[in-house]
Amino acid sequence: MSNTGSAGDPDDYRPAEHYDRVTDAWRLLLGDELHYGVFETGNEPLATATAALTSRMIDGAQLQPDLDVLDVGCGTGAPACRLAAEFGVRVLGITTSEAGVATATERAASMRLPDARFEVRDGMANGLPDESFDRVWVLESAHLMRERDDLVSECARVLRPGGRLVLCDLLRHRDIPFAEVRARNRDFVTLRAAFGDAHFEPLAYYAEAAERHGLTVERRDDLTTATLPTFDSWRTNAAEHRRTTIDALGVESYDAFVSSCDILEGFWRDGTFGYGLIAAVKPTAQVA
Amino acid sequence: MSPTYTDLESAIVAFLVRAKKPTDDLSPERSLYSGGLGLDSLEAAELSVILEDTFGTDPFSEGESMPQVLGDIFAFYGVAPAAA
Repeated sequence: MSNTGSAGDPDDYRPAEHYDRVTDAWRLLLGDELHYGVFETGNEPLATATAALTSRMIDGAQLQPDLDVLDVGCGTGAPACRLAAEFGVRVLGITTSEAGVATATERAASMRLPDARFEVRDGMANGLPDESFDRVWVLESAHLMRERDDLVSECARVLRPGGRLVLCDLLRHRDIPFAEVRARNRDFVTLRAAFGDAHFEPLAYYAEAAERHGLTVERRDDLTTATLPTFDSWRTNAAEHRRTTIDALGVESYDAFVSSCDILEGFWRDGTFGYGLIAAVKPTAQVA
Repeated sequence: MSPTYTDLESAIVAFLVRAKKPTDDLSPERSLYSGGLGLDSLEAAELSVILEDTFGTDPFSEGESMPQVLGDIFAFYGVAPAAA
């Protein structure tokens, strides 16, 4: 979920190198998988918890060899490469970031994974053919897309009958009145500085959008409580890697990240924000 | 402080540039939100804070209703663009 496009020296800007360096710094803060963790006890390492979230996505996707998988908002390609390597699926990862595609393509080449490909495409209007994928995988990228309904519509459109959509993301559990947004403007601006221009929806929104676009929702998991310890882990990482991450991201981004851990944890605890996952299937055609 | 139209326009344009929003059309009927300037609630809150800090009052907090178009902001301060 990181805003990996920030910081760096503009006079010495080489996109792929910059992206690598910034991504490495985010990896130190968020863990290797660059996403939230699902904690069973709250005491397990972050890596165990992030792997648990990925495993939930994999369970929801019901992956099998030779399936065609679309990874929407693929970042630097780590999950896509993992899926191709471990499950023998063909993955197309899409992102609006050219640097992300370059980094992900290098990653797939270095891992000798010809079945992991990456292209610059917009998840809200992907331009891919109808019914061309067996699985669509959306891991913590929906909140960075302005039109979430368009995202779900496109996911449903490109799925073959019998195909599955799995999506996990940050959630908004209640409406936030304008007066509250204004009163907490500083907190929201800090979150945007750390994580980008994000917009959260309720879990029901994603489920209803999936149903509206012809999918049948089989699973909806509210993971708010299970993801809460993530912030403690991120704060610990930030303290441990302070110098390295400030060198890569700049002190402002570092400070915004640390403040964001506290802000988000407060929002998690007061029932404003949280985390969830849905899995939905596209019905097979009915025989008349 | 009672701003002139030019004061107000300058403050709004500075905000829009920083927020990476369009500044080509600042006509009174231009929507502040989707289909117009494209502000979300956080951006509207930021504009509200800027207007209050700059002019002492702001239409988002003190107006009779939430501004929907640029003209609502102009009207709150009692200013209007010069006729073409």
